[in-house]
Amino acid sequence: MTHSFPLSLLAASMSVLFLTGCGDAETTIIEKDPIVGADDGHDHGDGCNQSNDILIDSKGRLAITQADSNMLHLFDLDDNSQLDSMSTVHNDMTLSASADFRFVTLKARNQDLMQFVDSGFWREDHGSHLHDFEQGPTMTSFELTGSRPTHAISHQGQLAIFNDGDAENGIPASVHVVTDNIISTQGEPRSLTFATNMHGVAEPRGEHLLASIRRDDAESTSANKILPDQVGVFHLHDGAYELEQTLETLCPNLHGAAQNQDYTAFGCSDGVLVAHQDNAQYESVKIDNIPELAGKRVGNLRGHVNADALIGIASGHGGGPATLVSLDPVANTMQALEWQPEANPVGYAFSYDGEQFLVLDDQGYLNILGLHTEGGSAHWELASRLDISQQDPATMPEGMSFTMTVAQNGKYVYVSDPIAQHILHVSLANMQIEGDIELDFAPAAIAWVGVAEQDSE
Amino acid sequence: MYKVTKVALLVGALLPTSLFAQSIEGVVINKNGKAVAGANVLVEGTIFNTVTDNEGRFVFDDLKAGPTELHISAAGFAHLHQDIEVTDQQTQQMTLTLSRSPIEVIDVVATPIHMSVMESASPVSVLAGERLRRQQSSSLGDSLEKIVGVHTSFHAKVASTPIIRGLSGPRVKIAQNGLDVSDVSRVGPDHSVASEASTAQQIEVLRGPATLFYGSGAIGGVVNIVDGRVPTDSTTRGEWLVETNSVDDQRLGSFNLTTGTDSFAFYADGYVRESNDYEVPVAPELEEEGHDGEGHDDAHSKVVENSAEESSGLTLGASYLFDKGYVGISVEQFDRKYGIPGHSHGEEEAHEHEEGEEGVFADLEQTRIQLQGEYNVQGEWISKIQIRGGYSDYEHVEVEEGQNGTIFENQTEELRLDTVHSQLRGWNGAVSLHYKSSAVAAQGEEAFTPPSDSQTLALAIMEEKHFGNVLLQLGARVERVSLTAENVLLPKIDAHGHDEDEHDEGEAGHQHEDEHGHEEGEGITRVFRADHEFTPVSVSAGVVWDFIPGYNLGLSISRSERAPSASELLSFGPHIGTRTFEVGALFALHEEGDEPYIGLTEEVIDLETANNIDLTFRKTQGDFGFVFNAFYNQVDNYYYQSFTGLFAEDGHDHGHEEGEDDGHGHEGDSEDSHSEEGDSHAGELPVFIFQTDDVILHGFEAQIAWQATDEFKATVFSDFVRARLKDGGSLPRTPPLRFGTELSYENAHLSAHLGVTRFQQQDRIAPEETVTQGYTLVDISVSYDVSVLDQDMSVYLKGSNLTNTEARVHTSFLKNVAPRPGRSIALGVRGYF
Repeated sequence: MTHSFPLSLLAASMSVLFLTGCGDAETTIIEKDPIVGADDGHDHGDGCNQSNDILIDSKGRLAITQADSNMLHLFDLDDNSQLDSMSTVHNDMTLSASADFRFVTLKARNQDLMQFVDSGFWREDHGSHLHDFEQGPTMTSFELTGSRPTHAISHQGQLAIFNDGDAENGIPASVHVVTDNIISTQGEPRSLTFATNMHGVAEPRGEHLLASIRRDDAESTSANKILPDQVGVFHLHDGAYELEQTLETLCPNLHGAAQNQDYTAFGCSDGVLVAHQDNAQYESVKIDNIPELAGKRVGNLRGHVNADALIGIASGHGGGPATLVSLDPVANTMQALEWQPEANPVGYAFSYDGEQFLVLDDQGYLNILGLHTEGGSAHWELASRLDISQQDPATMPEGMSFTMTVAQNGKYVYVSDPIAQHILHVSLANMQIEGDIELDFAPAAIAWVGVAEQDSE
Repeated sequence: MYKVTKVALLVGALLPTSLFAQSIEGVVINKNGKAVAGANVLVEGTIFNTVTDNEGRFVFDDLKAGPTELHISAAGFAHLHQDIEVTDQQTQQMTLTLSRSPIEVIDVVATPIHMSVMESASPVSVLAGERLRRQQSSSLGDSLEKIVGVHTSFHAKVASTPIIRGLSGPRVKIAQNGLDVSDVSRVGPDHSVASEASTAQQIEVLRGPATLFYGSGAIGGVVNIVDGRVPTDSTTRGEWLVETNSVDDQRLGSFNLTTGTDSFAFYADGYVRESNDYEVPVAPELEEEGHDGEGHDDAHSKVVENSAEESSGLTLGASYLFDKGYVGISVEQFDRKYGIPGHSHGEEEAHEHEEGEEGVFADLEQTRIQLQGEYNVQGEWISKIQIRGGYSDYEHVEVEEGQNGTIFENQTEELRLDTVHSQLRGWNGAVSLHYKSSAVAAQGEEAFTPPSDSQTLALAIMEEKHFGNVLLQLGARVERVSLTAENVLLPKIDAHGHDEDEHDEGEAGHQHEDEHGHEEGEGITRVFRADHEFTPVSVSAGVVWDFIPGYNLGLSISRSERAPSASELLSFGPHIGTRTFEVGALFALHEEGDEPYIGLTEEVIDLETANNIDLTFRKTQGDFGFVFNAFYNQVDNYYYQSFTGLFAEDGHDHGHEEGEDDGHGHEGDSEDSHSEEGDSHAGELPVFIFQTDDVILHGFEAQIAWQATDEFKATVFSDFVRARLKDGGSLPRTPPLRFGTELSYENAHLSAHLGVTRFQQQDRIAPEETVTQGYTLVDISVSYDVSVLDQDMSVYLKGSNLTNTEARVHTSFLKNVAPRPGRSIALGVRGYF
């Protein structure tokens, strides 16, 4: 029998301990980088008549994925130092930020996974004051495992991830909506599950979710049946969304969506569907395509809470030149921008305040459009065309491109250059390159994280 | 306990372990030769456990030949240990005689060796049955305070926790069915224990070092709350109770139920309780001598504001029963919301917003999953294996003015594996393997301790053997405790003294402003990663000598080591619960020129070591019984908070108006500043640093009971502890000398108890404390059993503090703002089935 073994082992170890007589204590203290600028949190002085906010003045942090690898790197934008590197579950995960920019989101569409990395830099509203926190980045254990997560859209504190589902395995489409609070507390994501799979999109809007609906193929007006042709208004009840209303206006081959303060827009093959809340109900109209589109359709939309107009991007299949249109959801008009891209755009974004629109192209130019008001009507004009790469764009490695991410706490944009292996700091205020972060790897994608200064998306 | 049915025994008889199966028939009688029905008979270290029938008879079949031990227990009688030799004879007959014991003897269930008030070398107490129901209260501390050696931290009724022999907090472990309760009650006196007495079956208290069984956190003692959430048998039974109480309009309803089939057992319990702010005999706030207290009597009503409570819990459990044991799982959801009186932002403001402002309250929530199993191997080497596992997820939010102020979280996983070996040369005992991992975090204004992860792995052995009339108990435990905090913060704080020459009367406030200047350098927070590895070792030896029949003498000697807790090491920040600015032992006060500053300590962080001697003298049988305990405990390297003479901001937004007077002047007296509401430094807290010193605790506990007739019983008890620093000085919040008596009358239907308890004045005080006056409490309870619709019920009436005395509790952090409740009458009905 082997039963005596643990006893004798125990007896032996005990007798050793008796001989030594007492236990042991060992302490290791490692000093880390101090937190500078952070108020200590205790100077709510007697009679001092100043703000009680405990704020950290920082440019924020930058998450960078390394091409052809599973590495994620986090940099401090104040001193361009590397804070941490960590490995993700899969290679080449799609990088973005959470709705309030505290978390880095990593998406592996084909592996049905979304991971979240805590940037370590966030703000809490304590009622009487705001409180900033600055810690080291950490990989959270929060994960989303929807089937084929594809389009992720954030709006005013909520991030909606549309999981396309999988026809082959009979998995229907679904939506997960998470806030930074849900991620940090490992809470339950708000969810919606459809009856069938689709390549759809969902826009969170307070307690509502406007999401695409795929009808029976026999009824659907979409040419490509995997694209939905209706939009539903869903309402949150006990953590799940329930269909409350289906918008009357159809949207064949629905693809692309965006919001501003009051309006939500969806790209359709015959125009742009615009929805807006009127009391308890949502109303919808279609802004028809204009001849300048020359047969193309708006399949990509951008909006900003501070911008009245939405921007639509129409491009033909397989890339090719894109046409940018401005959409006025009040007057229900579509207008081509005066400036149109010469090269193939690889990224579009609003600046954090919604006053500028950025188009990054594959020739290494950052086109900065500004809103120009003339005779009461505003239109977008090219303010600057910044050459951001000294390299020959033709030497761009296969599968890579320039990418950019917009700071949410100031007029900055960061642009990655995989050829030169660096990240540029671009000031949008004076439209100049102000610095760079040298890398020893090719960046695949970048995302700004930190404390956003005002509502933006 | 697992009951063996005849069927199970028959099944057991077919198993190969019972090669030399024998049987025993016995009868249990009392001294007068009358049969004792319902006595529990247990064959030590085995599955065999049965209850005597109406003629006092019991039968065991299928016993293994060889020496073994019977343990017989019955209500009102002393437990009997009987060594027997199971021989090859077909059937053995025996008669066992029980002696009366006026002191209730109930076994502790959560230790692998036998322990009870009368039989073990180290002192234990168990509260169960009707006595538990009579003494249960909304908080654990108040429920247990009638046990000798146990006092309550009386935190305005809402968050009282037990103090064992003067020790509490990280030195007293609170366990639920042998597993850590895993709340944050050990780090803050205003944090409630996440456990409930009204659904408990019994509550066990181990006084003095019990690290052997429970590890580091039990150096001062253990409270284990036992219920049947993982049922070990499926006999249908249950209990329900409804009660209302006048002093706080409390309404309580609770139930527990066990039922099942042959193979499956199910359990459920639940309770709901609601109470309002409680009434007190006097204005709750104690006026400070020398301070202007005029008008207070009118201004305050005689209730302790913000002491209301609302809680509920539901537990479900299920087990699979098989002939050699059981395995089961339970889930509990626990919710409690309670006001935190005195958790205000300083006295000055508390006066300003008496009306209309919502106080601070805590909203506590815990989910607890427990797994339990037992397998009676009955092998040559191993007798049985017990497993207990737990997962708990705790969160409590302190809500101030409708905003979430601080969130405390504790996630714990725990596993205990006890292997009880078969009797080996007369030794009974067990080897215990114990693993625990917890992640504790606090976020928000009161987040004085950084998030930390701790892991414990321990191996322990406990053995006992009877040598004639001497019982020897031995134990040892070795632990590996690791504590890691990624970001220990050391902000530069503006701590300053309050010296006489620095402040002119009346202008203190302005002086302050200058001092609180936001100089350069402020705003730099140093960050550390702290990694601690501790290896505490505990050893203990005890003897119980039955020197003449009916009497025994117990001696227990132990050396126990404790790893300091995260809050003792890593704290840095305002702790509103204790009204101090807490700084952990990782830091120390240094001086640069004349300027004091706080930096890393240069001292070695070491284990706390308790060397304890316990002496027990008992009369275990007869109409007259007693238990005397005396103890001497020298704790080396005792972690405690010491006042630095400095003050720091409390981290709250005070919104002081310009020109607001800062209070009663700053005479540099640190008196009362610690925990006392009379503190005049509004918006500031005294800075206390954890440091270590050698401490001596000694004292006694005495219980004497006399069963005068079958109906009348008189009990006298007393306890005392002296807690002092070796180099002179007293520890704070030490219980005063207490003595009391209880007169009971019990017949078949009526049970009545009159209790009188005297708490003496406490004048052995720490420098920051004040003397607390003595007081006498008078309680009475009457219960009458009735049978309605074939249901056993009792209707009861409880009166407490009948003389409506002002009673301030020296052990309470809220001594000066929340005295004990005034006269109260409770009415309730209990039912059993």
